[in-house]
Amino acid sequence: MRAAARVWRVTLVMAALLAAFAGLAFRLTRLHTTERDPVSKGPVSREVRIELPAERGRILDRRGTALALDVPMYRLNANPEGVVLDGLVEAYTALLGRRLGLDRTELERRLRQADRRQVYLASRLTREQVDHLRQLKLRHIWWEETPLRTYPLRELACHVVGFVNAERVGSAGIEMSFHRWLAGRPGVRVTVRNARRQEIADQRRVDVPPEPGATVELTIDTVVQTMVEDALDEAVRAHRPLGAWAIVLDVRTGEILAMASRPAFDPNEYGSSSLDGHLNRAIGYVYEPGSTFKAATIAAALDAGIVRADTPFDCEHGLWHYRGRPLRDFHPYGRLTVAGIVQKSSNIGAAKIAVMLGDAPLETYLRSFGFGQRTGIELPGEEAGILPSRRHWDALTVTRIAMGHSIAATALQMLSALGAIGNGGVRMKPSIVRRVRDARGRVLFEFSPTAVSTPLRPDTSRLMTELLVGVTAPDGTGRRAAVPGYRVAGKTGTAIKAGVGGYDHQRNIASFMGLIPADSPALGIIVVVDEPQPEHTGGVVAAPVFRQIAQELVRYLGIPPSAGAPAPAEPEPTAPPEGDTHADWPAI
Amino acid sequence: MRRPAVPSALRALRRCDRLFVVAALGLLAMGVLFIYSAGRQSPTLALLWRRQLGWALAAIAAFVAVVATGYRRILASAAALYAIAAAVLGLTLIFGVKINGARCWLNLFGVQLQPSEFAKVATILLAARMLARPDLPADRWSTLLKAAAVVGLPFGLIVLQPDLGTAMVLLPVTLAMLLVAGMRARHLAALTALGLLLLPPAWFVLDEYQRERIRVFLDPWRDPLGSGWNKIQSELAIGSGGLWGKGWLAGTQNTLGYLPRPVAPTDFIFSVVAEETGFVGSSLLILLFAVLVVRGVAAAVEAPDREGMLLATGLTALVFSHAFVNLAMTIGLLPITGLPLPLVSYGGSFLLAIGISLGLIQSVRAHRADQE
Repeated sequence: MRAAARVWRVTLVMAALLAAFAGLAFRLTRLHTTERDPVSKGPVSREVRIELPAERGRILDRRGTALALDVPMYRLNANPEGVVLDGLVEAYTALLGRRLGLDRTELERRLRQADRRQVYLASRLTREQVDHLRQLKLRHIWWEETPLRTYPLRELACHVVGFVNAERVGSAGIEMSFHRWLAGRPGVRVTVRNARRQEIADQRRVDVPPEPGATVELTIDTVVQTMVEDALDEAVRAHRPLGAWAIVLDVRTGEILAMASRPAFDPNEYGSSSLDGHLNRAIGYVYEPGSTFKAATIAAALDAGIVRADTPFDCEHGLWHYRGRPLRDFHPYGRLTVAGIVQKSSNIGAAKIAVMLGDAPLETYLRSFGFGQRTGIELPGEEAGILPSRRHWDALTVTRIAMGHSIAATALQMLSALGAIGNGGVRMKPSIVRRVRDARGRVLFEFSPTAVSTPLRPDTSRLMTELLVGVTAPDGTGRRAAVPGYRVAGKTGTAIKAGVGGYDHQRNIASFMGLIPADSPALGIIVVVDEPQPEHTGGVVAAPVFRQIAQELVRYLGIPPSAGAPAPAEPEPTAPPEGDTHADWPAI
Repeated sequence: MRRPAVPSALRALRRCDRLFVVAALGLLAMGVLFIYSAGRQSPTLALLWRRQLGWALAAIAAFVAVVATGYRRILASAAALYAIAAAVLGLTLIFGVKINGARCWLNLFGVQLQPSEFAKVATILLAARMLARPDLPADRWSTLLKAAAVVGLPFGLIVLQPDLGTAMVLLPVTLAMLLVAGMRARHLAALTALGLLLLPPAWFVLDEYQRERIRVFLDPWRDPLGSGWNKIQSELAIGSGGLWGKGWLAGTQNTLGYLPRPVAPTDFIFSVVAEETGFVGSSLLILLFAVLVVRGVAAAVEAPDREGMLLATGLTALVFSHAFVNLAMTIGLLPITGLPLPLVSYGGSFLLAIGISLGLIQSVRAHRADQE
């Protein structure tokens, strides 16, 4: 009995022990194999994938001046847990507050968060500041390099350059349209991190360095841009408009030397500026151009052979009823030749010419001038303007379009059309990017002049340019645009703005666009001022801005004065002389 | 011939259980190998494997010496050994070196020893001797009380250090010895009922960190970066090992320090083994322990006398309890307690104490009657 009991007991113990081990093995099997166990969903390896940010490419002007570039900045972090445990909160608050000029209350609040292991204390520290901190060998403090997109010329060409958002994604201007080239390609590092989140460098599996972004060189010249912006600022001070904008175009190639818009903003602080200032009005503001448009209408009629420069028109002494509707001139005129209609900017004359030309040919010419479609400039936010199809025109439309109403365009479209008039009738594609080079210097894109259309014959182009020279003559509407020593071809515009319930004669858009030198046009310049006060005509408000820009520009670019040009530095006549006194242009 | 002749030292060694010895040596080797792996990434722990190797050799020497001496001679001085152990435990409480908040280390001539590990062996020796006495049958309450007193003294001293985990191991050991000694079923039932009754008030006696360990056991994600870390990372290590493991020295949980470096070579050595050798390796380790325990029980069954049987039972229960609690903790079946894995975890005193224990078990086996 004794022995039997012992065997029974031992068997019991043995069974219990083996059951225990079986339990262990069961749990072990589950841990190793079962999918439902949360543990098996955990990391099989401790690999991490780190994206290495690429340096963003620079944006340069045509002379190599940097308009946008990455500047290394530093972001300061702290481990509050460590700072609190080591009793360093007061010391760090005082030290960092003094050295970096940070707000001490806020600093102390962040450092007191003992339950956190990482807080950020300050961004945009310079290398000097960080070097200083490094020497102090502070515990629980570290920094990381974060490139900061910087626009050193601030507001200059801000609408062209644009800006990147907080995630460094281009969000306006060239920064946006060329984002993919500027951004470069981030590198990738597949590596291993230990329990303290430190990288184990010798276990890197993949280490692809980032590819820096390409450099974009603009056709913009910052010197020209500065001239344009200074002139605009002066006009804004004098006339207190809602906005003002201007473009300088090389009409022979289509390169844009300057493009400016007011109001402007500082891309370094794009968040704190009004959204109104972000609009690049030069390409994004569609307006009824008014009289400047007559240049296109009359050029079309001349090219079609409907009229000649000396074809006379009865300008009805300022009031013409066409199909029961009145049409008025700003100043009443009797008989004017086509040349006189251009010079005096007669609405009635232009309307009669357009009626003679007819709807279909006019629309064909205007489409060839590029109205109603985007120029395709390399900037976001370009508007196409409004040129309704002829099917939607009524009987009066042609008379309205003739004088730049019932049609809407951007300043760039207007200047592009003028460029065609000055460039032998060939319209060049406007372009603002000259070259794109990758970080190794390889050229990815190179500008080359591209002709888009040929609205005019070369002889019409010459003739129309000469007619436009009359505008800046002492008795022309654009005499204030005259540049001493140079012959200037141009056209004024004073458009009334459409408001609720019809046109509002109190609100105008004053503009001037011109070609210089008129004998062999190189540059086209347009200036538009939105609702100037108290003067409102293009001849008074916009033409002087044109002159200021053109005058500095010909000196800067070394354009030789025109032979036989009007005498330099003449005082302005106080009242426009009446009548058609100039007849020195060739009447082809 | 009632009692077999005492075998000579050499003969005793020859009569050892080969399978048992191979299993023990296999576990020792695994310990050294994976302590190397666990310590390699840390400058302070890089040479730990060499010290473990030294302690392993010392443990083998102790095993040989104990088998050669014979368990009867050692049992004869059980009372003295017990007295010394209790005294040293008392001294440790006063002069001991405090590590991790517990005063359980004694500095002896430059070697740090953990007296509690030896005290457990001494306690089992005395308990075996006492329960073997014919005048103290185990089916009486008075005997149980006396056994409780013998175990209670070292238990209390170890709890005071405080090292509750190490002390608790004495409970299943005592229970196993009482069962084999012939405790009645109703005694067992009464003790079990008493233990269950004591569980709820025990919650309030526990320290806050101990309660936290139990809460984390029930819900490790309540604090995954703090108190739940070890449990979660240990299970991740084991689970991510897969069938064959990530390879020696290649466990990422281990080498990258997700398994905390200080405990990876000691209490969590099994996690390292499981991550790097997978299900196959960890099953092998459990199998080796099963061999040790089954052959230990076999030694008890075949023991030539009641003393030997009780001694082998108690010591096998000791090895088993340590192994079970440690393994169960690393795979998430029990709350975290700081109990090392016999023969595998780093730790000199414990290794030496286990060497002596295994020697005693094999000495009992060497004296078995069958081949006389």
